[in-house]
Amino acid sequence: MSGLIWGAIYGLAAGMVISLAAFIGVWGERKIAGRIQLRYGPQELGPFGLLQTGADTLKLLLKEDITPAAVDVRIFRVAPLIVFAPAAMSLAVIPYAYGFAPIDTGVGVLFFVAVPAISVVGVLLAGWSSRNTYATLGGLRAAAQMISYELPRTLSVLPVVLLAGSMRPLDIMDAWQWWWIPLTFIGFIVYFIASLAEINRVPFDLPEAEAELVAGPFADYSGIRWAIFAMAEYGGLVAASLFGAAVFFGGYLGVPGALGVIVFVLKALVIALLMLWVSWTFPRMRPDQLMATAWKVLTPMALIQLVLVGAVISWL
Amino acid sequence: MSVESAVFTVLGIVAVAGGLATVFAADVSRMAIGLGAFLLAVAGFFVYWGATFLGVAQLFVYVGGVLVLMLFAIMLVHRTPDGSPRLETRHDVSAVAVAGGLFVMVVTALSGVVPDTVDHGLVTGTTELAEALLGPMLAHFEMAGVLLLVALVVVVVIMRGGDER
Repeated sequence: MSGLIWGAIYGLAAGMVISLAAFIGVWGERKIAGRIQLRYGPQELGPFGLLQTGADTLKLLLKEDITPAAVDVRIFRVAPLIVFAPAAMSLAVIPYAYGFAPIDTGVGVLFFVAVPAISVVGVLLAGWSSRNTYATLGGLRAAAQMISYELPRTLSVLPVVLLAGSMRPLDIMDAWQWWWIPLTFIGFIVYFIASLAEINRVPFDLPEAEAELVAGPFADYSGIRWAIFAMAEYGGLVAASLFGAAVFFGGYLGVPGALGVIVFVLKALVIALLMLWVSWTFPRMRPDQLMATAWKVLTPMALIQLVLVGAVISWL
Repeated sequence: MSVESAVFTVLGIVAVAGGLATVFAADVSRMAIGLGAFLLAVAGFFVYWGATFLGVAQLFVYVGGVLVLMLFAIMLVHRTPDGSPRLETRHDVSAVAVAGGLFVMVVTALSGVVPDTVDHGLVTGTTELAEALLGPMLAHFEMAGVLLLVALVVVVVIMRGGDER
């Protein structure tokens, strides 16, 4: 019984963490975008531009939740939740503090890379149920992209699993050595790029592509349901940077207690900022370039990294 | 009813309901949702029996791979003006016969093998699983891989053959 209660509490906590992360993320993103692209609005309103995000949140929550007449109503309504749930689930296996992960399982790493696969179904259904050519096209693009980038993403974390000899995140944290950073750096680059693609952020946001596909699968969504999609994106960003900081940069570095958590979160923050920086600097890719990057660049890079680590391990 | 049996019952209900929805839904996107629910419930069963690796692999391969592939295929078919494409099958009886035969085959094959009670000694960790797959079970593992490869080649040959005719 206690397991079920803990599960419910965890689910609630994860939902709240993601909402908060989305709030901070939107604020940080607009600040950074404002600095990079000389946008004034979000920097001026209130102290540090904080009020702008508050106003936007209020606007989103109070907006009418429009359901167009032609959509497949039930699937249309449930699709945002199918996209959101995996983002919350993937936060569960991350080792936050010394010896603590909400769900401590021997297949944590595999779980983390496998769970986003569920959100592909949600995006496809959102695009399909909208009964709208742009939305369907966007959904198809998203599915093709997310499935393709799952492979390099999974391969990129394998070297660390190989070095630690375990897929349990806490074991990886215990086994972690500083020289893994230079050794698995190619893997981290592949992980970073593939994660950006997995959560559909610029320069990989061609499913959304507001200039050509009028926001793709999200075209017909408004108000809170649209906000759930946006929150899932920030949830994915948070999960990807936390997991990257844990697996590739040693997480809490064996420091017990609150100090370790701070070290861990700071590292994740650097990765998240790097992701935002990339988003506001590079232009959107073309679909064929996107696919070519996944199959002809990232996958071979990940395989080379795997062979490299395999060769080093035999020397240890 | 204990929590364990409640979880098992819920998983069973989801699996059966998903299976029925997959067979009886006329709308293909609802069919896909039914199949997704069924596959997730099967993953839940694996985790319930302690085979976490198998559960996550089920999630990765079936929900993330097979189901998405099917949704992809659905989206590429022609859509009628009034809505989703509807599925009309002309092989009801033979499909039921094949499914029934497969069910009897699986039940008779597994009836002596699967224990009636949970034996946690059977369920091994990820390391043991890896050692078994790359050790004593290597031949079986490779054979399954070759079988899948052959199936893939057959599909390619069939598709190409259709073009040339």
